[in-house]
Amino acid sequence: MNSQETRSPSRDKSHGEYHKPGMHWLRHLGENWAIYRRNPMGLAGLGLLVMFALMALASFIPPLIDPMYHPMSGVDPEIDRSLGPSAKHWLGTDFMGRDIFSQLLTGARVAFLIGVSAAFMAVAIGTLVGMVAGYFGRAVDTLLMRLADIVMVLPGLLVILILSSVFGQLSIWNLVIIVGLLKWAGVSRVIRSQTLSLKVRPYVEAARVAGASHRRILLRHILPNVLPLSFLYMTFGVTSAILIEAALSFLGFGDPSTVSWGMMLQWIWKTGHMFRAPYWLLPPGICISLITLSFYLVGRAMDEVLNPRLRKEVLEQ
Amino acid sequence: MNLRKFLIVRTWQILITFFIVLTLLFVLFRMAPGDPLSTIADPLMTQEEVEILKAQFGLDQPLHKQYLLYLWNFIRGEFGTSFYYRQPVVQILADRLPKTVLLFTTVTILYALAGISLGKMLAWKRGSLLDTGMSFLGLLTHTFFLPWLALLLIWVFGYQLGWFPLNGIVSPEVWLDPDSGLLLKVLDVLHHMALPMAVLFLTHFGGYTLVMRSTMLETLREDYILTARAKGLPERIIRNRHAAPNASLPVVTSLGLSLAFSINGGALTETIFSWPGLGRELVSSVAQGDYPLAQAAFLLIAAFVLLSNLLVDIIYAYLDPRIRY
Amino acid sequence: MKPLQVENLTVHYLTARGTVRALEKVCLELNSGEALGLVGESGCGKTTVAMALLGLLAPNARVLEGRIQLEGRDLLSMDPEEMRAIRWKKIAMVFQAAMNALNPVHRVGEQILEAIRVHNGNMTEEEALGRLQELCAMVGLDPARMKDYPHQFSGGMRQRAVIAMALSCKPSILVADEPTTALDVVVADQILGQLRRLQVEMGLSILYISHDISVIARSCDRMGVMYAGQLVEFGPTDEVLETPLHPYTQGLMRSYPQIQGPRKRLEPIPGEPPNLLDPPKGCRFCPRCPEDSGVCPSERPQWIEYHKDHFALCHRIRG
Repeated sequence: MNSQETRSPSRDKSHGEYHKPGMHWLRHLGENWAIYRRNPMGLAGLGLLVMFALMALASFIPPLIDPMYHPMSGVDPEIDRSLGPSAKHWLGTDFMGRDIFSQLLTGARVAFLIGVSAAFMAVAIGTLVGMVAGYFGRAVDTLLMRLADIVMVLPGLLVILILSSVFGQLSIWNLVIIVGLLKWAGVSRVIRSQTLSLKVRPYVEAARVAGASHRRILLRHILPNVLPLSFLYMTFGVTSAILIEAALSFLGFGDPSTVSWGMMLQWIWKTGHMFRAPYWLLPPGICISLITLSFYLVGRAMDEVLNPRLRKEVLEQ
Repeated sequence: MNLRKFLIVRTWQILITFFIVLTLLFVLFRMAPGDPLSTIADPLMTQEEVEILKAQFGLDQPLHKQYLLYLWNFIRGEFGTSFYYRQPVVQILADRLPKTVLLFTTVTILYALAGISLGKMLAWKRGSLLDTGMSFLGLLTHTFFLPWLALLLIWVFGYQLGWFPLNGIVSPEVWLDPDSGLLLKVLDVLHHMALPMAVLFLTHFGGYTLVMRSTMLETLREDYILTARAKGLPERIIRNRHAAPNASLPVVTSLGLSLAFSINGGALTETIFSWPGLGRELVSSVAQGDYPLAQAAFLLIAAFVLLSNLLVDIIYAYLDPRIRY
Repeated sequence: MKPLQVENLTVHYLTARGTVRALEKVCLELNSGEALGLVGESGCGKTTVAMALLGLLAPNARVLEGRIQLEGRDLLSMDPEEMRAIRWKKIAMVFQAAMNALNPVHRVGEQILEAIRVHNGNMTEEEALGRLQELCAMVGLDPARMKDYPHQFSGGMRQRAVIAMALSCKPSILVADEPTTALDVVVADQILGQLRRLQVEMGLSILYISHDISVIARSCDRMGVMYAGQLVEFGPTDEVLETPLHPYTQGLMRSYPQIQGPRKRLEPIPGEPPNLLDPPKGCRFCPRCPEDSGVCPSERPQWIEYHKDHFALCHRIRG
């Protein structure tokens, strides 16, 4: 056993066996769903995600009912400070008299937006790099993986801080791009090892012998079979992105034109309401934690589907 | 001997990585919009001071000469003067570094060890109520948003119950009083450290517990465990001497991999608790536009992370004879 | 009193998919100082027999019937503590070298010493080290290598170390589970020769378990053939190999190349072993048996002694 194998934890195992080219997993979607369904944690996670998605969609409603419900600019003419929950304001108001509940809903929307976009970018880059590194090997592989090592070792939050010190206030979309550029490394390693094992499959060798171009092999044979893995890592990537944005907003470096859960926490912290307004302090934090939990559960359940070895064998007693 | 070669290779890699980070930072700050002078010269400085700085950092010279000067300055420890503190950056960093090391290193060791012990125990009691409960708890705390948990703890334990101070590293009354002995001062620091450590501990131990638990379960299926049983060894010995040492190896590896993540948490914690460490300094210097300090703080943190990685590698090599021989 | 006597051992495994009938009324006996072989394909239950003998059956195993008499004491009725005291002292196991039988993070010598110490509490360190030296000499290992780690040993050396570890407490019975699989032929031959020498010198009784008939043929005085959880034939090695009674054994011999004699076509046995979740009611080999059926599919065959000491489990053998 060389040191490479003993050093990396279970990340580098080949996920599943695919004998035929093409979208093997797509054909078995029904089967896979049945396996997924058996996992109570996975279902719980999925349920939570659905709830947050509904929240995100519902975020457009409150301002339509009454402009005072707008999360950023809506001000209740009768309230100018932070008050507790009431019939008019289900979760109370913040220090400016804005409705907390509608802020919470908007936060869900922002979380999904940022999370999914950033994760998509990170996974897209990571999959590309991983496939290229695994497929072409040698110098390209070494170079790309060294690059990945360097990127992985840097603390993302602090890098973004430094970037914001140089370039000033970062907008939401700047943030998405930067997070995408920082988070691809982990995915690329996993995709790379999957590519390595796919590379030696008989149908790939056959395609090569038949004269297929590298691009064709990569697109037609390798990519479809690493996609499930990419998808899996997207769920992990989403939480990363949401957490980084929340942390940045909390510290005061977020995009001031958006309302996110992290931003809400920043307001309560900076305006000294921490000790006086649990109705304001608790909801955003709970949401961030729950959405992280739900993505994690979904990710783990998907991992079980892809990696049969993880499935629990129930023994009779 | 494999070990020496391994360490040399890793040290070399770390040095190259640091060098690249150093260079990237140089490029970054030269890419800043506006006058590059603004990144080293405080707007409140006199023209004389600005000219001196200009020469020192070579701003009137071609880019590659600036770069060499930059490297030379780095080696000399010349990072300029902080706009905010009006002191040499080096001095400030020297003051902040030990505080970060104190907090971060202590709590990392604590939660790594706790995770390993807990994970080992949970694997043993697999399927029991304790196992399900603790695993779930670990998972839950792992997903808590760190700043939020910090605020909660401050609110409950600092504000409501008054058990712990809300921020800072020392109470001025204790430290300024000439009659306070060393013990009292140490206790005071520990008292201030309690909540920050609690936050970092709670958000991190869960991950390690879960990893150790699953590697332990895998290890218990290995053949040498069967051998140990066949030899007639008691279960406790099998668990502690045969299974756990092997199961800890992937945990150590994952410690190394997640250092970047935990440093983020460390910076957040320092900021919230006003713990005067490198992380907080970085955040505040960025907020205040104190470029020399921000740059240097970032570099120092990066160096710290890289060195920690190296340390973890050394520990791993020590634990796994397959690397050493 | 025979050192080892197994009577009607029946073991089932409880799994999510049902009950696996792994062993069915297996009877064995080991004479003092003899080498007994158990041959069979993967999944026939030979490893389960080995595990049962050492008291190492998996937690989901149930012993429905049977007795294992070790020097007169029934192993199956012992509690775990008693078993732990006997294990390795009276009966020890030699594992496959290919397996991770040795703990990678401990030195080889330390692992052998551990075995010595756990059963000889009143031995001094010196005595234990002395025993280690003895063991090295017995199996042909250089004592200076004892402070190395398992990954530094070659396959053959690891197998010797495993043997040394098994012999450390001077057991009277050794169970050798696939002792030479994963070793090349030359090394395998050396190992088998070593085991034979030890058997003679120490008066050991050895139970060889292997899927490789040549190992059994070389080393064993008597042998048994297992199929689908049952012992289908048993007798002196030469007799079983030259005049096999059971159709399965006959099929095995036909599918195994002979070095001497005329070149024949190898005939594999058609079909596959039965699924032990739901084995055939009658004879378990019947579906693959070239002999014609009759009462075979419905009635379980009897264990009959056809020649002196030569048993078989079959309806169709004419005595």
